[in-house]
Amino acid sequence: MTIPSPSTGEVTQLLVAWGDGSQAALDQLMPLVHDELRRLAHRYMRRERPGHTLQTSALVDEAYLKLIDQKRVHWKNRTHFFAISAQLMRRILVDHARSHHYAKRGGGAGKVSLDEAMIVSPERGADLMALDEALTSLAEIDPRKSEIVEMRFFGGLSVEETAEALKLSPRTVMREWSMAKAWLYRALSHES
Amino acid sequence: MNPEQWQRINRLYHSALEREPARRGAFLDEACGGDESVRREVESLIAAKEKAGSFIESPAYEVAAEMLVGDQKQSLGGGSISHYKIIKLLGVGGMGEVYLAHDNSLGRQIALKILPAYFMKDDDRVRRFKREARAVSTLNHPNIITIHEIGEAQGKHFIATEYIEGETLRQYVAAREMKLPALLDIAVQVADALASAHEAGITHRDIKPENIMVRRRDGYTKVLDFGLAKLTEPQSTSAGLEAPTKTLLKTEPGMVMGTALYMSPEQARGLAVDARTDMWSLGAVLYEMVARRAPFDGASTSEILVSVLEKDPPPLARYSRGVPAELERIATKGLRKDRDQRYQLMKDLVLDLKSLKARLEFEAEMERSASPEIGPAATPPEGVVVAQPAVKTTIQAAVPTSNVGYVVGKIKRHKLGMIAVVAAVVMAIATYAYFSYFSTRGNAAISSVAVLPFVNVSNDPDAEYLSDGISGNLINSLSQLPQLKVIARGSSSRYKGQEIDAPEVARKLGVQALVTGRVVRRGDMLRIEVELVDARENRHLWGDQYNPRNEDLLQVQAEISRVIANKLRLHLTTGEQQQLAKHETVDVQAYDLFLKGRSSWDKGRTEDAKKAVEYFERAIAIDPNYAPAYAELSHCYSDLVSGSILDPKEFTPKAEAAARKALELDEGLAEAHLAYGRIRLYAWDWAGAERELKRVLELNPNLSAAHALYAFYLGLVGQHEQGIAMIKRARELDPLSINANYGVAFQLSLAHQYDQPIEALKRSLELDPNNPLVSRLLGDIYLAKGMYAEAIGAYQEVIKLGGDSPGTQIYLGAAYAKSGMREQAQAILRRLEISERYISPGELVVLYVALGEREKAFASLERAYAAHDSQLMFLGVDPSFDPLRSDPRFKDITRRVGLTP
Repeated sequence: MTIPSPSTGEVTQLLVAWGDGSQAALDQLMPLVHDELRRLAHRYMRRERPGHTLQTSALVDEAYLKLIDQKRVHWKNRTHFFAISAQLMRRILVDHARSHHYAKRGGGAGKVSLDEAMIVSPERGADLMALDEALTSLAEIDPRKSEIVEMRFFGGLSVEETAEALKLSPRTVMREWSMAKAWLYRALSHES
Repeated sequence: MNPEQWQRINRLYHSALEREPARRGAFLDEACGGDESVRREVESLIAAKEKAGSFIESPAYEVAAEMLVGDQKQSLGGGSISHYKIIKLLGVGGMGEVYLAHDNSLGRQIALKILPAYFMKDDDRVRRFKREARAVSTLNHPNIITIHEIGEAQGKHFIATEYIEGETLRQYVAAREMKLPALLDIAVQVADALASAHEAGITHRDIKPENIMVRRRDGYTKVLDFGLAKLTEPQSTSAGLEAPTKTLLKTEPGMVMGTALYMSPEQARGLAVDARTDMWSLGAVLYEMVARRAPFDGASTSEILVSVLEKDPPPLARYSRGVPAELERIATKGLRKDRDQRYQLMKDLVLDLKSLKARLEFEAEMERSASPEIGPAATPPEGVVVAQPAVKTTIQAAVPTSNVGYVVGKIKRHKLGMIAVVAAVVMAIATYAYFSYFSTRGNAAISSVAVLPFVNVSNDPDAEYLSDGISGNLINSLSQLPQLKVIARGSSSRYKGQEIDAPEVARKLGVQALVTGRVVRRGDMLRIEVELVDARENRHLWGDQYNPRNEDLLQVQAEISRVIANKLRLHLTTGEQQQLAKHETVDVQAYDLFLKGRSSWDKGRTEDAKKAVEYFERAIAIDPNYAPAYAELSHCYSDLVSGSILDPKEFTPKAEAAARKALELDEGLAEAHLAYGRIRLYAWDWAGAERELKRVLELNPNLSAAHALYAFYLGLVGQHEQGIAMIKRARELDPLSINANYGVAFQLSLAHQYDQPIEALKRSLELDPNNPLVSRLLGDIYLAKGMYAEAIGAYQEVIKLGGDSPGTQIYLGAAYAKSGMREQAQAILRRLEISERYISPGELVVLYVALGEREKAFASLERAYAAHDSQLMFLGVDPSFDPLRSDPRFKDITRRVGLTP
């Protein structure tokens, strides 16, 4: 009678396999995590008053607790999970935007609203796709910056957590972040 | 750009930022050493950084949830806008999504249309639209949908209107074979609405079948979306002869093919519209209702528009036999290209339509009386839903007048048939929804459900019994389905008046789905709203509202059960379907009293039970053939007898008589068998009791009380394993009832398993320390285990909690005696022997045995047998009797009671 939920063992294994470089593991992992996040998102949406934003870490923490067999994963892996969940989140959100035909405006990356947080909504789905493309371009010239953005923007990691995951100093993360942000902002506003 | 350059840019970017903005230029002049591309890059990045602000500073999925949730196309599902709580998506059109919503402030259902943001950009247009919508609303025309509010909240523009339980005209016509007068009736209602709006100077601009709602149950028609087209239509131009395609290219999103079909030539040209534009559109709608095809057709929007501008529609007679010439004339006049040649006033159209309708009805009446051979068997009665074949051309809509005549007569004679029709329609929709739903989702069927107490939203607290009663009846009725687990009333009722978190409640009750509902009673008006939620995903499966007249209440409840069963994807046998559809035909007043009685009994206090007896008796006085009332009355008597409130000598026979009467009236009534089974059990008729209990569970496999009584029986006759399994089933069905855990503990104690119940009972006491029943059972178990000091403590607790009864005294005495405190035990015995109260001789045996008074014990046993003392049921299982067991006299009396020694 409980909600059918992926067995925690399965996710743990997949995560380890992915960590070892298995792309097939990622493909299997995606729908599991996606479903879980969606379910959680649903619950949060119901609980929160409309308009309230979600507590990022609450969402991921809960997914983590639910999906990962705590006993079998070393605590250190939690950072690893966040890093991975950042990549997953990116893929999920971008795939979602794409599959829901949020047509990119003006053909190319298009006009993008660059306000505050990039709010995800039907109109902003296109922004998300544009950001994804820009981030991929950034990765070509500077993979580390792209990774930091992925972790912080898609993964919701703090500067310290990102630093820990990438074995960098927080100061370096801040510097890289600042420039990556400028680069992306320019990339997105250029084309408008 | 090569990596070295990029590294350089990186370095320079950070170095420059470390300097005062005013000094950066000089720094870069020097640092770049004339490499202009590097310098430009650094400067542009710094400029971007200054502008970026909080760009991407908030993580993506702070808002991702909205997007992920939006996956299901119900971006608002479960949410709220302003004070409207979204219930479900009703439809999506060019003008936005329409939701069924609940108006929290006024407690009514409404339709909420969310307007796409791009329609609302032009403030001026929005203002004009609002003004017009309000103006139309103030007309209070019965055929114009009432607008409650046009507003904006959470960045969304919305229109809240009254909710019509119906279909769009397109759906309505497609689902029915409609007779001409019925079609004309709809057209008259629309025309009348438009006439009234036109008089107020308002043009609709977008009359089409999608903007006309027809109430399912009676064909009552309402026109929607006055002036909404204003937000989307191209600004009128003076270029009157512009090519239509050019005009069309200028239209904005939301302009759909469907609209072109009803668009007037002046609209196609982009000219200003006036009331006569609506005339055209209504003409096109009327034409299509009769011909089953639009007057101007085409493969593309531009083809349609060319046809609108240049072609004459084919005569209606080509598509429909027997179209009256007058109808042909009316339609043609509405569809004149030159608006000066159309009806100039909608009022005139109304008059023409009305008189045509009257004439057709009159002719039909004449024809009917002239041809009596057209009998009911020959023609389906009016209103029967005939599935329409998909191929349009085969449809014959306007029927020969002879048929019409029959129909008119039938309407007069068979008003009542409509109720059946409504049921059929509901079923059809439910079936359709069910198939379309489950064919797209491979979800497993739902096998367990809880019906939560319906909320009484009347201002009248007296209507509580009605909301409780209706949910109770749904429980009863769904309980009959063997493949479905239905939670008993006792546990569901725990959620009365509470905020419901569906997944949480479902988890506690151990079910997959929840049924919730609301009941509104205002004077004679009654409305029932039901919702079915798949709690596994917190997803709305179905919801509907009913406005039964009092006398239809039972029928509507049966209907709701059937729809729910369908929604749960249960495959019902014909017998089960009939069972669900079955409902007693009972006097409204008697039913009312019955519900009041049950509601009162559910409260559980002695005085409530007494009141319940009164209600049931009054119900029976009104309707002496009301089986469920007899069954409940029997239960009430039995309860009051076993609680020593009523005299068993007088009321046990009364309980039996009521149960027998209930059975005589309705052999298929589970509660009647349960009541009678209880009587048989207390009469030591073991086989009879078992027979009745088996029958109860056949009839209603979800009756938790029957499982509990059956378990009791099994325990008494020593079939402990089955008994324990049975009581656990009872607990599953009624997990939150106060007795759920107590029952299991009691059952285990019958099987002489003590440790588990002790733990369970202690936990119960922590939660509910004031329940004397729990302490009493705990005492009995301690006594059986030889833990006398604990037993004494427990019994003293019982007495302290007001549970002082001769029985408790007897067992306390036995505990004293066994722990060596004979004096205290003797004192209790003496008090009991001189007591005025009825002392069960069967129970007294326990004290005699404990004091070692064997002969007195046997004498008391014989007295108990003679008095048919209910305690003798426990002869086989109560360890207090153990010292007597080897005695042949004990074996003999055990046999006489019908148990195996």
